[in-house]
Amino acid sequence: MDAILSVRQVTEHLRQTVESRFPYVWVQGEVTNLSRPSSGHVYFSLKEDDCLLNCVWFRRQQKDEAFDPLTGEVWEDGPRPSLARTMENGQTLVCAGRLTVYGARGQYQMIVDLAQAAGLGLWHQEFEALKRRLAAEGLFDPAKKRPLPHEPRRVAVITAPGGAAIRDFIRISATRGLGAEIRIYPVPVQGEDAPPRIVEAIERAGRDAWAEVVVLIRGGGSVQDLWAFNDERIARAVHHCPIPVLTGIGHEIDHSITDFTADYAAATPSHTAQILWQDRHVLAQHVDGLETALHTTFFRRLDALSLRLEHAARSLSLLSPLARLRLPQERLDSLAQRLHASVQQRLEQYRHTLDSLHDRLLKKSSSAESLAADLDRLTLRLAAAGNNRLLRAEADAERAQSALVPLGRMIGLAQEHALSRLELKLNALDPFEPLHRGYAVVSDEEGNILRSVSRTAPGRTVTVRLVDGSILGTVTDVRPASSETMP
Amino acid sequence: MKKKEPTFEERLARLQAIVTTLETGNSPLEESVALYKEGLAHAAACREQLEKARHDIRLCTEAGTEPFDAAAQEEE
Repeated sequence: MDAILSVRQVTEHLRQTVESRFPYVWVQGEVTNLSRPSSGHVYFSLKEDDCLLNCVWFRRQQKDEAFDPLTGEVWEDGPRPSLARTMENGQTLVCAGRLTVYGARGQYQMIVDLAQAAGLGLWHQEFEALKRRLAAEGLFDPAKKRPLPHEPRRVAVITAPGGAAIRDFIRISATRGLGAEIRIYPVPVQGEDAPPRIVEAIERAGRDAWAEVVVLIRGGGSVQDLWAFNDERIARAVHHCPIPVLTGIGHEIDHSITDFTADYAAATPSHTAQILWQDRHVLAQHVDGLETALHTTFFRRLDALSLRLEHAARSLSLLSPLARLRLPQERLDSLAQRLHASVQQRLEQYRHTLDSLHDRLLKKSSSAESLAADLDRLTLRLAAAGNNRLLRAEADAERAQSALVPLGRMIGLAQEHALSRLELKLNALDPFEPLHRGYAVVSDEEGNILRSVSRTAPGRTVTVRLVDGSILGTVTDVRPASSETMP
Repeated sequence: MKKKEPTFEERLARLQAIVTTLETGNSPLEESVALYKEGLAHAAACREQLEKARHDIRLCTEAGTEPFDAAAQEEE
């Protein structure tokens, strides 16, 4: 709480305090400081000894009185002018109204609703007298108040059908409750006609016995406007009504005899609707809350049950014969696993060996292939080489031949030349040549040329050849050269 | 229908009772599920009732009642 209040806060607190503590008061005093500005409002103070109460009487509350506000008796001499216009300083008045705080001036003051000259029949005295009397009769007895129905579905509303009260009531109730039927019993709510008509409506609603609750409402107004609800007849009708009665008359500050008699007095017409029915949002919230609680508790219950199930299942599994099988089963599993693993390993080894063999085989075959390929290559090279050689040889041969032909021709020429020379030489060596020069050639009978005397003998025939013929002769003598002198 | 449609208050009360039963009781699973379903149905129905809730405003006349038109009344 803030320790320091603002001026406005203080003023507002004071105003609320004053207005709630003195909702409606009757004050008697001597009029002083009377002022009537052109606005029509009347300002004055009520004085008693050394105390002063500032009062304001607004123009709209200043009404000429056509009848006695207390008795309802119409004055035969016509409407009387409002006291606001006739009052004077020094006059003793009884004023009724509200106390409030006028913030702008820092004053508390009274908003006058009505005033009467002291000594005349005072409303408040009548009011207080009636209140005392009815209280004594037990009409206001709290013990006799009946509870209002909860979320009523059938509601009788007694009010003026064209008034602000029913409008407010309908507006407020539109978002509340679960759907009710509202029956309006139309009545006037002010004037002398109002009390009997209201009584009639209350009685009719009681006779109909349809409604769960009777609501009697009237909008705000002056004390005079609301005076009908201080009528004893209405109070008794309310008291006798077989159905609980809820009232909402005027503003929060207004209290009437009817209010005191009702089973429950709401502050305003709107307030009656609020009392009767809850806001649907609140109801919806309530449903939501219960639904959430439903979810929560149900799933908690489910959790608890599943927990129990789990426990039971665990206990059961511990006791189960399967548990005894578990160890051997586990060993079996482990053995099977090992077996599987070892077989797998073995298979793996075999596979590995196989793979390496396969690899080697592949390598081998690939070397044979490469040899064949080499061979092919060589064959090809050989063939190519042989071919080349052949071609080269042919070419060589051709070249040689072409070289040989001229050589042969040259050789032929040379031989011819040599031949002719040899011929010459031969000619020169012709043994018959010298015959021209006188030489003779002697040959024996067989034609052999005699190169030695030894080759002949006397008696043998010789042929002597001369250039122009031959001479046949018989050797008579042989003389070797040693025995003869050369000629 | 042999039974009348339960009112909002009855449904709400039943829903509250179901929650209490589930909270405190040791009802078996089937029963708990049934209660839960019933509770959900009540909650949904309550919401629907709230959605649909409208006041029926009528004016009493000499003859009986007639629909009340606030606007028409004000003009008088």
